[in-house]
Amino acid sequence: MKQAVLSHWDLPMLPIIALIIFMVCFITYTFWTYKKVNKKFYDKASQIPLQEPTKVGSYSKGKGL
Amino acid sequence: MSSTNVGQSGAKRRLETFSYDDQIVKWFVIATIFWGAVALLLGVVIAFQLAEWRLNLHLPWITFGRLRPLHTNAAIFAFCGNAIFAGIYYSHQRLCKARLFNDTLSKIHFWGWQLIIISAAITLPLGITSGKEYAELEWPIDILITLIWVVFAVNFFGTLIRRRERHIYVAIWFYIATIITVAVLHIVNSLSLPVNLTKSYSIYSGVQDALVQWWYGHNAVAFFLTTPFLGLMYFFLPKAANRPVYSYRLSIIHFWSIVFIYIWAGPHHLLYTTLPEWAQTLGMIFSISLWMPSWGGMINGLMTLRGVWTKVRTEPELRFMATALTFYGMSTFEGPLLSIKSINAIAHFTDWIPGHVHSGTIGWNYMFIAGVLFYLVPKLWNTELYSKKLANSQFWFATIGLVFYIISMWVAGITQSLMWRAMDDAGRLIYPNFIETVIKIIPMYWVRATGGSLVLISFFLMIYNFYRTAKQGKKSSVDVYEAYSLDDSSLEHNPNIHRRLEGLPMVFAILSLVAILVGSAIEIIPSLMAKNYIVKIDSIKPYRPLELYGRDIYIREGCYTCHSQTIRPMPHEVLRYGRPSEAAEFVYDHPFQWGSKRTGPDLARVGGKYPHMWHYKHFWEPREVTSGSIMPTYRWIFDSKIDYTSLPKKIEVMQKLGVPYTAEDISSAISNAKVHAEEVASELIANGVPQKITEMEVVALIAYLQRLGTDYGSLPDEMAQLTNDSIKSEDSNNSKLEEK
Repeated sequence: MKQAVLSHWDLPMLPIIALIIFMVCFITYTFWTYKKVNKKFYDKASQIPLQEPTKVGSYSKGKGL
Repeated sequence: MSSTNVGQSGAKRRLETFSYDDQIVKWFVIATIFWGAVALLLGVVIAFQLAEWRLNLHLPWITFGRLRPLHTNAAIFAFCGNAIFAGIYYSHQRLCKARLFNDTLSKIHFWGWQLIIISAAITLPLGITSGKEYAELEWPIDILITLIWVVFAVNFFGTLIRRRERHIYVAIWFYIATIITVAVLHIVNSLSLPVNLTKSYSIYSGVQDALVQWWYGHNAVAFFLTTPFLGLMYFFLPKAANRPVYSYRLSIIHFWSIVFIYIWAGPHHLLYTTLPEWAQTLGMIFSISLWMPSWGGMINGLMTLRGVWTKVRTEPELRFMATALTFYGMSTFEGPLLSIKSINAIAHFTDWIPGHVHSGTIGWNYMFIAGVLFYLVPKLWNTELYSKKLANSQFWFATIGLVFYIISMWVAGITQSLMWRAMDDAGRLIYPNFIETVIKIIPMYWVRATGGSLVLISFFLMIYNFYRTAKQGKKSSVDVYEAYSLDDSSLEHNPNIHRRLEGLPMVFAILSLVAILVGSAIEIIPSLMAKNYIVKIDSIKPYRPLELYGRDIYIREGCYTCHSQTIRPMPHEVLRYGRPSEAAEFVYDHPFQWGSKRTGPDLARVGGKYPHMWHYKHFWEPREVTSGSIMPTYRWIFDSKIDYTSLPKKIEVMQKLGVPYTAEDISSAISNAKVHAEEVASELIANGVPQKITEMEVVALIAYLQRLGTDYGSLPDEMAQLTNDSIKSEDSNNSKLEEK
């Protein structure tokens, strides 16, 4: 029974199902990301690597804080 | 240390002081440089071995088949691995504005990873291998890898939870996807049943093993050599250029697309094999789709440099990063191209593939690591770079060496492939003798080895540059910083779902996991179930005990690094090797041994093609039977005795894995194997070989090879006639070559 079911499973449909899943996700997150309202926030986020915290001192030896 | 303050929102904010752990970054940087030199040196050695077989020196532990896995493991996991950890630990602390979660965990991570590498460097030359490409390490080391990876994950996520920056920057998303996916890939692909401490058999067999292996293999490229480096790119490139990434929004699209698409692409390594057609199509479609996110990422990186291109000429870190991105663009263009079935038919099994791989690993990974190191070393050692001139020389040595490598492999691959498929008007192979196609491309192997040597020289220049830089370094003190702890004041009012997600590391990690599991599940589960409906062929029987022993020698010596065991349904392959392979033929193969490169001919149907004595001579001195062969000698298998006592346990493990051995097969394994060895040896002894050969490993290996492909019928008459004609023509060509 199980073998019969499996052998009739239309596997060539899988690439198409996969493509549909991907396209739906892709369109959704692209739409979301490029919504105008998000621009300011993401521009600010892109600055994170360039922001340094305030240096308040230094020490030569011992365990880190 | 902390103090409180009133923030803009009126809420009390805690000001905290902290420092970064850069010592651990220093350690990983040193390890990167050391193992990078080792990996590149090994690569150059094996490149020369292919050009000149005598460089195998008749020694087992430095023969190509054992050194090649060591080279690939060293390059991926030792060189790139240590570089990833150095880069992630440096950038993660800064992006989170927090010290690493736990200094002890960092140290365990560092020393544990070095222990894994040293274990690989000892076991692989000894022939202790699982026989699965890029996952050769045996099960105790696999367990150690899992444990150390968990330590890394705890340290990473612990830091993330303690962060003082609300938004999780995109680089960290790439790191999260890396940590999660590598864990899944490693665990699923490494599942095996141990025979003893140094030997195990994969729980998968044949087609299933092939699919799982290349799902792993391709995604090792994706999630070890691509996503972590893209994460590093999104941190170090803006840092080095001192400007934000070109488009943060494009980086979000880039992230989700690459994580989602990459996982499906594995089957492009198995086109025209017995893998189900739908799975091959799936692999091809998604590989082509990869063009989009890969180039999106490359463009985002290169466009970040707009306005600072003059610095690319003068600053080594930017020059190496920009070149790396260019090579990334090139190799991610070539990869999808190679996965198109008609192009793959030409390129697969040829040198074009190692050429493509190295445009990625040298062009993208080495160049990018060099860029990161040029940024990090002066900072960590608190000084200026010793010599920009030397960095410039390094750049040209590496670039020219790589161009030599890539072009020579294009020429070699396409030339050989066209020779393999050349047929005359009567439908016979023009070059039926495989060795003719090898001899033709040996000059290209010399060019490749020269290119590789230039890349190695470039690396040594970098080492010297960094040595002098570190030597002039000033003793640095540890800087202390202050930043506000995370509290509600930094929360956005009414954030949307994705935004909320960007601040929730664990949920984000789970969603990344779902993204990769969707692809994996659709691709792998039906294939695992496919075992149920592979049409059984009654004549396919499990290996006899001596053949199984011989198969383990085949795996130990890394024969799969040069020989394939799968015949594609193409006229020239059928003429050269025989009937196309069927899925049912491999159901007892734990692990599969299809290979990925034909430096020598396919062996799927080599059984019975030559007499035992031919194989005997071939292992002692390949050139005695194949003039011009570049195969190393395997003289140690003439001196090593067969360990018959290991057989019952091996067969018992195979039985547990579903191979239909009976209890009697297990109990009579030793006597059965001894009788079989005598059968094989008697033919050798009749040809003047000493009696003692009966006990030696060479007999088991001959027994295995003589079994290959013999269970599964013969070709239809007309086809068989053409094949016979080709074989006759091969024989006459062989004698002509010998006369020459």
